Amino acid sequence: MSELVASLDVPSRSSRWIGACRDFIGRRPLGAIGAGVIVLMFVAALAAPLIAPYDPVAVDFAAMLAPPSAEHWLGTDAFGRDVLSRLIYGSQTALVVGFGASLLGATIGALIGVASAYFGGRIDLFLQRIMDVLLSFPLIILALALVAILGNSIPNLIIAIMVPMIPRCALVIRSSALSIREMPYVDAARAAGFGHSRIILRHMLPNVMASYLVMLTAFLGQAILLEASLSFLGLGVQEPLPAWGLMLRGAAVEFAETAPWMAIFPGVAISLAVFAFNLFGDSLRDALDPRLRTQ
Amino acid sequence: MGAYLVKRFLLMFPTLLGVALVTFLLIRVIPGDVVELRYSGDRGAVSQEVIDQERARIGLDQPVWKQLGTWLIGMAKLDFGTSMWTGAPIWDEIRLRFALSLQVAIMATIVAVLLALPLGVLAALKQDTWIDYAVRIFSIAGLAVPSFWLGIMFILVLLIVFKWLPPMVYTPFWVDPWANMQQLIWPALAVGYRYSAVATRMTRSAMLEVLREDYIRTARAKGLWQSLLLRRHALKNAMLPVMTVVGVEFAFLIGGLVVTEQVFNLNGLGLLFVQAVSHRDYTLIQALVMLVAGIFIVMNFLLDVAFAWLDPRVRYA
Repeated sequence: MSELVASLDVPSRSSRWIGACRDFIGRRPLGAIGAGVIVLMFVAALAAPLIAPYDPVAVDFAAMLAPPSAEHWLGTDAFGRDVLSRLIYGSQTALVVGFGASLLGATIGALIGVASAYFGGRIDLFLQRIMDVLLSFPLIILALALVAILGNSIPNLIIAIMVPMIPRCALVIRSSALSIREMPYVDAARAAGFGHSRIILRHMLPNVMASYLVMLTAFLGQAILLEASLSFLGLGVQEPLPAWGLMLRGAAVEFAETAPWMAIFPGVAISLAVFAFNLFGDSLRDALDPRLRTQ
Repeated sequence: MGAYLVKRFLLMFPTLLGVALVTFLLIRVIPGDVVELRYSGDRGAVSQEVIDQERARIGLDQPVWKQLGTWLIGMAKLDFGTSMWTGAPIWDEIRLRFALSLQVAIMATIVAVLLALPLGVLAALKQDTWIDYAVRIFSIAGLAVPSFWLGIMFILVLLIVFKWLPPMVYTPFWVDPWANMQQLIWPALAVGYRYSAVATRMTRSAMLEVLREDYIRTARAKGLWQSLLLRRHALKNAMLPVMTVVGVEFAFLIGGLVVTEQVFNLNGLGLLFVQAVSHRDYTLIQALVMLVAGIFIVMNFLLDVAFAWLDPRVRYA
């Protein structure tokens, strides 16, 4: 008996994490590749001043539209700014806007979804109608209108991208929360006399975590894509701030024939980032909640 | 079924009204109005009197609730009024651009469905083989590559490799189908790739679900041909969720082509919307949003009707 107890060594918190990560990499190689690219992006964003060969906003008219070379690996743009350095710094913008918008959007959406499922009845009906209304606007149209109202700074951009995500998350979370509402432990919490906010925040919200995380990772890629689209239209991040969508605007199309590197590389960066988040999100969904459908 | 349809039909109206209210109020929060913008070029050379007169002429001096009332009543009569910027009837502004956006959306749908069905079914049948992995990577990439950048790449390749550019002036299909196709096939392909990715993923997961059902095993056990089994038993049942994503994406595409239209210099609804917002052309913005959201809401209604018709479980639930 004592032998049995001894052999049941409880793994420490950190080794459990490492074990889970190793398991994830082994079973879902595609997801692990995605995670690897995401880590690289973070490193690039955080260490941008160290790794970027040039100042991303430094104008150099002597090196205008220079093709890729030993000095400028990915060439320069119409102002002689180094494309590689702008891409590296651009990852900061993409990550800040992507994480800001999807964290806020998914969290507010999850709260609305859980509250909607918990209260039911009229409140549920009312919240669902509001979500229906928000869902009826195409993503880009709603974001465009919001940017026009708020003006284009980075925080406003985050709000504009966040709002269209709210109803999409609320819908999914509500359906997961509906089944949780019927669980005995929610009844028990209610019987114990806990208030609504405590039951929602402490008992229901943690149990829709799987759906929440899946929605969050699915939103990350979309948010980066939407930011790039808005910046490309000139309604997002403004010059001279480096952002991938912005780099594709104007001169990149004008000089596409003579300086194709200006149009190619920022698009590759956007695609790679969104691709990585989608790969990771897909594998996370398969691991956490295979029945959930995103996109 | 009758009661369900009536309920579902009536549910469209509060949503439409909500969209109308949100749009009406949101755009009035945008700083500046159409009159200010029109005279802003003259830099204060225009007297306040003229500005007030102009505002009164297009009804902007009325209290907001009265403007809302006029607009809602007009819409109930299917009269969207005139554009505040050009003064032309809204329908004249929208008509040609709507035809263009609709055509691109239809062509993109054809591209998407032609790609998605075979790829999705193939991936599901060969689950966890290299074919499945290839299809999945192809479709996840479709979600990742921005359509507007893909459009730029198309133009670049056509220009550098083939020394050819698609025509830049829009020709309606009924005037010259060939010239029309030469121009619109590229945006349709650029958007269609993303669209097909969404549909492929749905086809694959729906097929996987259906293939695990008992009736498929029964059909296999009695020795049904694979092709017949796929078409009659599996694909038919997997089509419902695929239909939904295709329908919803199609509805969104009509107004959501904003960025792709910019790349290909197409005068579609999306570009018109951007212009309308920058001119603060309230009546035009309102009409465009109602059109796009209306298409989406009606499309959802039609999908639900189709669902109830095809799947008895829905109508008795």
